[in-house]
Amino acid sequence: MRLQINGDEHDLDVITLKDVVKHFGLQEGLVVTEVDGTIIDRSNWKDINVQDGMKIELVHFVGGG
Amino acid sequence: MTNKLTIAGKQLSSRLFLGTGRYPNPYVQNRAIEVSEAEVLTFAVRRVNLSAPDEDAILQHIEKPFQYLPNTSGATSAEEAIRIARLAKASGLSDWIKIEVSQDEKMLIPDPIETLKATEILAKEGFIVLPYTSDDPALCYRLQEAGAAAVMPGGSPIGTGLGILNPYNIERITEKLTVPVIVDAGLGSAADVTQAMELGADGVLLNTAIAKARNPVMMAEAVKHAIHAGRLSYSAGRISKKKYATASSPIQS
Repeated sequence: MRLQINGDEHDLDVITLKDVVKHFGLQEGLVVTEVDGTIIDRSNWKDINVQDGMKIELVHFVGGG
Repeated sequence: MTNKLTIAGKQLSSRLFLGTGRYPNPYVQNRAIEVSEAEVLTFAVRRVNLSAPDEDAILQHIEKPFQYLPNTSGATSAEEAIRIARLAKASGLSDWIKIEVSQDEKMLIPDPIETLKATEILAKEGFIVLPYTSDDPALCYRLQEAGAAAVMPGGSPIGTGLGILNPYNIERITEKLTVPVIVDAGLGSAADVTQAMELGADGVLLNTAIAKARNPVMMAEAVKHAIHAGRLSYSAGRISKKKYATASSPIQS
């Protein structure tokens, strides 16, 4: 599956959005996802089937003022 | 010491809001946070670096629960700020948001029109909105009327340590507004913090002044005392300035 994640092309063997988060080894409680410009709540990650060409953003809190 | 600061119904024991950027390492940062006694911490929202996901993740280093105040830094328009605010809220960690919108990379001066627009929309959506703004009393008032829970005028441009460039304006803002005023940006030392508090600020937001001090932990402690001193001094009421001397010792022997 070819996905555009955080601006880069990734070829991943995944079914759901939850799999994507898991693939990168991210702490679920600290990550926020956006799929094609829509924020997806953590509770719905397992219900979102990803498809070729989807644009996914994975963001989190970093140090800042 | 005087009454506590309350923002959107949340009572805070500390009047210091602390940024989490640019510390030498997580250990020093945690020590500085602890010593400062700050309860509100600011963060930025960024893409996860997928080749090193833990590299700049901040929350894994933060030890106890705080009031999180994510910012919208990087936004150049109200639209971008609103997107970042919604992402931050979806974290489930906080519905407070520091609006920060700038189109000016050199000065990082907040864009007044976009900041006002974002404040209005996000306050209506139910966010607890704390806009970072320039020290314009009329604009600060408009932000309050737009639904800001607190207004955060800058003392001087971010990270400059130039202190409060226009104390007259800051004092007009603290006099006029009924929501808390937090002086944000540009403060460089404990003296600047005391001045902000003496001008009637309800609190201060610092990052670089502590993170980049030669000894961040010691500066965090200095700032804590500065807030206390400044607030007491403000509450005590300073004397008015006079042109000529008044003897403090009796003139007659």
